[in-house]
Amino acid sequence: MTESLRVIVAGGGDVGLRTAELLDDRGHDVVLIERDPDQSERVAAEYVASIIEGDASRPAVLRQAQPDRCDAIAALTDSESTNFAICMAAQRMADLHTVMRIDGDPDELYPQYVDGTVSTASLTARVAVNEVVGGGVRSIEEVGGKVEILEVEVAPDAPAAGKTLAEVRFPRGSLIIVDAEGQRIGGPETELTPGERFLVAVESAVTDEVMNLLRG
Amino acid sequence: MSHAGDRSPAATLTLLDATMVGIGAMIGAGIFVLTGLAVETAGPAAIAVFALNGGVTTFTALSYAELASAIPRNGGGYAYVREVFSAPVAFVMGWTRWFTYMIAGALYALGFSSNFIEFGHIFGVDLPGGVLFWAATVVVVFVTLNAVSTAASGSAETVITLVKILILVVFVAFGLQFVDLGEFQPFFRRGDPLTILPAMGLTFIAFQGYDLIATVTEEVEDPERNIPRAIILSVVTTVVVYLLVVFVALGTLGAEGLSGAGETAIAQAAEGFMPTFPVIGTGAALIAFGAVFSTISALNAVVIGSSRVAFAMGREAQLPRRLGRLHHRFGTPFVAIVVSAVVMLVAVAVVPIRVVGNLASLFSLLGFTIVNLSVIRLRRQQPDLRRPFEVPYYPATPILGIVLNLLLGAFIDLTTWLLALGWLAFGAVVYVALSRRERDRMPEPPETGEPEISEPEVTISTED
Repeated sequence: MTESLRVIVAGGGDVGLRTAELLDDRGHDVVLIERDPDQSERVAAEYVASIIEGDASRPAVLRQAQPDRCDAIAALTDSESTNFAICMAAQRMADLHTVMRIDGDPDELYPQYVDGTVSTASLTARVAVNEVVGGGVRSIEEVGGKVEILEVEVAPDAPAAGKTLAEVRFPRGSLIIVDAEGQRIGGPETELTPGERFLVAVESAVTDEVMNLLRG
Repeated sequence: MSHAGDRSPAATLTLLDATMVGIGAMIGAGIFVLTGLAVETAGPAAIAVFALNGGVTTFTALSYAELASAIPRNGGGYAYVREVFSAPVAFVMGWTRWFTYMIAGALYALGFSSNFIEFGHIFGVDLPGGVLFWAATVVVVFVTLNAVSTAASGSAETVITLVKILILVVFVAFGLQFVDLGEFQPFFRRGDPLTILPAMGLTFIAFQGYDLIATVTEEVEDPERNIPRAIILSVVTTVVVYLLVVFVALGTLGAEGLSGAGETAIAQAAEGFMPTFPVIGTGAALIAFGAVFSTISALNAVVIGSSRVAFAMGREAQLPRRLGRLHHRFGTPFVAIVVSAVVMLVAVAVVPIRVVGNLASLFSLLGFTIVNLSVIRLRRQQPDLRRPFEVPYYPATPILGIVLNLLLGAFIDLTTWLLALGWLAFGAVVYVALSRRERDRMPEPPETGEPEISEPEVTISTED
């Protein structure tokens, strides 16, 4: 169903504003909370969200965004502890999906308390690596901090090029999921045709090995 | 195969465009259709009727401006009330706004056809078919245009509205020198100042078009500044134009003549003093042309307005969801437009013009009361909400708005109230039925798992 969501975005910096814009583009309703009047004026000029001016970690401010009517909250300020506090307070006020932005190493117990974490550092790093390394390998998603989903183009002179999966022995901790067109799930008869792209899930310990096999 | 879209997106509106959207929806009905009826009810005091109505509507316009600057949503008054109040109140707002637009459409269609036939008479042509035939025809034509094309808004509307204003300026410029102040004596009909109130109720509909600006907010450039300005500018301009036109019409044709002329009052007044123009012919022809032109563009505006409200309600599942979908090929809220058109046609066919005017005014008054309440409630609920535009002299302004709107509503006759209650009762049935159906559709919320927020990308395919 194309029902629109109501989302609270806490923090109207670059990340918060861009998030609000993307949500608005997709037809969702956004309430943004921002402490700094100058910054909130900048957000207001975009006309993508109604704006509460105040500190989102204060319950009296957060409550004005009406969490009980919202489907999700994204705490995106540049302070990890503030974001955590905001998510906790919002959960106490209503049953909604919580997402927090983290900047350092994620605490391993976060998943027990919030529904989603977004690490700006690792997101930026991944995109940076894609840009630096360029064609052939693109990082798609990081799962749980250790496993990465990559899109890899099989290089013509790579060791595994032209072989089937049955012939190549990939290291434990890696999995060819599907070819990038989404046509076939990888099976023993799947041929690693040079020039074709595959989605590969790899644990970080064996990434270099898999790269060697597929890229040469 | 999917291919790149070739349907042009909605235009970007400047401050002038946005102001003209509001003026376009207001000037057209009030002045051409309702002047005669207002004079019939209140005598020369009709001019006071228009002035006071302008004052009353300004309070609500200020409330609209504050809400529009703070809440970035398309959908007009309905969207704001949905933001502030619980679902049933929002439903009442949407239901009445929707009806107001449709019934205003009926009013404009009837006004169009009287003036169109008059226009024919001036050129010695007896048009076949009666008033109803032409009213129904014009509704069908404009609904069809709006159903298949999104290009209706934008700068074309601006030009049309400027032409409307220009024609009225010509009328005033020629007429002012012929105004006989003696025509304003006695000022009140039967010497009774209270006749003003029912006349205000009757003509209030002519002051509510700025709501339409609030339905196109996201297309306006620099919206947080320009929308409040456009709302206020459009109300002020409209009131000034109304007052000048009514002053000239009363001063030249007199109360007796105007009330006899009904929907073609202004054209008849023009006949008295306008010189003959090349090509167009007599002054009356110019005004009749202006009336035909104005009612058409006002009709176009409310067809858009009614479908936008129905669309917004469909999106919120407060009307059947089908109304909240875009047509796959035309990109218009097709079902919303067609449903609105059907109600408009029924209103054209069965409800007399005076009742139509009263009914639309009553619903405007009720809707505007809720809008003013929203400002107050939102200030309490969300004191820290950013409001780029704030209603001056809060809370006196919205409170006065509420009191005056209700006062005018109280002077509308019983038949209209009964019809209004009938429509609200019908609304209640729709509301209950829909919320039942929604509840049945909703699967039981999962006991554990997290709420599903990753929805599939909405792909708008343009496949044939």
